[in-house]
Amino acid sequence: MSIMSYNGGDVIAMMGKNCVAIACDRRFGIQAQTVSTDFDKIFEMGPKLFVGLPGLATDTQTVAQRLKFRLNLYTLRENRAMKPKTFMSVVSNLLYEKRFGPYFIEPVVAGLDPKTNEPFICSLDLIGCPMVTDDFVVSGTASEQMYGMCESLWQPDLGPDDLFETISQALMNAVDRDAVSGWGAKGYVIEADKVTIKTLKARMD
Amino acid sequence: MEAIGHAGTCLGIIAEDGVLLAAERRNVHKLLDEGYFSDKIYKLHDNMACSVAGITSDANVLTNELRLIAQRYSLQYQEPIPCEQLVSWLCDIKQAYTQYGGLRPFGVSILYMGWDKHYGFQLYQSDPSGNYGGWKATCIGNNSSAAISMLKQEYKSEGVKLAEAMKLAVKVLSKSLDITKLTHEKVELATLTRDGNSCKITIMTATDVQKLIDEYEADEAKASAEKKEKEKASKS
Repeated sequence: MSIMSYNGGDVIAMMGKNCVAIACDRRFGIQAQTVSTDFDKIFEMGPKLFVGLPGLATDTQTVAQRLKFRLNLYTLRENRAMKPKTFMSVVSNLLYEKRFGPYFIEPVVAGLDPKTNEPFICSLDLIGCPMVTDDFVVSGTASEQMYGMCESLWQPDLGPDDLFETISQALMNAVDRDAVSGWGAKGYVIEADKVTIKTLKARMD
Repeated sequence: MEAIGHAGTCLGIIAEDGVLLAAERRNVHKLLDEGYFSDKIYKLHDNMACSVAGITSDANVLTNELRLIAQRYSLQYQEPIPCEQLVSWLCDIKQAYTQYGGLRPFGVSILYMGWDKHYGFQLYQSDPSGNYGGWKATCIGNNSSAAISMLKQEYKSEGVKLAEAMKLAVKVLSKSLDITKLTHEKVELATLTRDGNSCKITIMTATDVQKLIDEYEADEAKASAEKKEKEKASKS
């Protein structure tokens, strides 16, 4: 039994043309038993900044709250919204502080720069090593399956609707092959002028 | 307390549908670089803002501390800090500086405006001794006593909407400031309202402030013209 697969859960983020999408499954379980089917792992940190926190559920909640704390103080002091790249550093710092007793989550950050609206995605490991890519990032118990799906489905410069289709198909089919993930999915498409949130009904098992 | 008596005026008024803080900006100097956005009014949390009068460096330290206190409460209880608790916490810190350690007290008076689900819209004032009180309308800083007496006469506690309160604030400020004419560069106005389920803190733009000032001056001109008419009529 691995701690990272105790509760189960996955998050994918993908880069599109002037937009990003981030999606997660909605299962919360204790090993084999499913406890809740509306446990979202994506949290809004800013109007165009989202973070996905798959892994141990208690750490998902705690890290989300602590990140909001740091982000709120930054916004109040600097009087401006935090850039996604800066947020990545905040997450990395918070995780490395617990280097020898870590939070058991592997976050995914997705957002648009508040001023230039440039899209940004990245993922980090549980002790804060950041990885910035320009295609897609995956994290969770079905990560191998997600890598396979994304690699075959993703193409550069997808528009918001196509991007949503792609990310949904990638996530849904990957979690269907994983026992501790699934029970629905939630996808966010973040564009310069709006954020679209869609809840998907997948194989509810 | 001396420094505060000479500092830029701040006044706060509670209305039925919101609270407002108005502050006089003292540092309007031609050579001063206009780097930052808000001089005297600080947002503390989604549901609270404050305005300071006194030693600016002390004020910075205190507002920082206020923001940290509010965030820590929010982290622990996952809900916004009730207004009185934030004020009382900071005042405990301020009081400690008057009793222990041989340090000097913070030379700042602060006006806090906020909303919480227990008591609705609130306005508090705290001073360097750590004393604080809840008010319906009050003023700190330069000429505050004149402003308070004017507020006492003009303030109506029932049925005042925010727009009326803003007009009152402009009126009181213009009468109690030392300068002859009120312009938008010299005044900062911030309001706190409830928008559905959340609080909205708006720092008014220069154009909106100027509009209020113009309206006030138009009303004043009309009132003094009417007075002159009456005097002429009574004389003849």
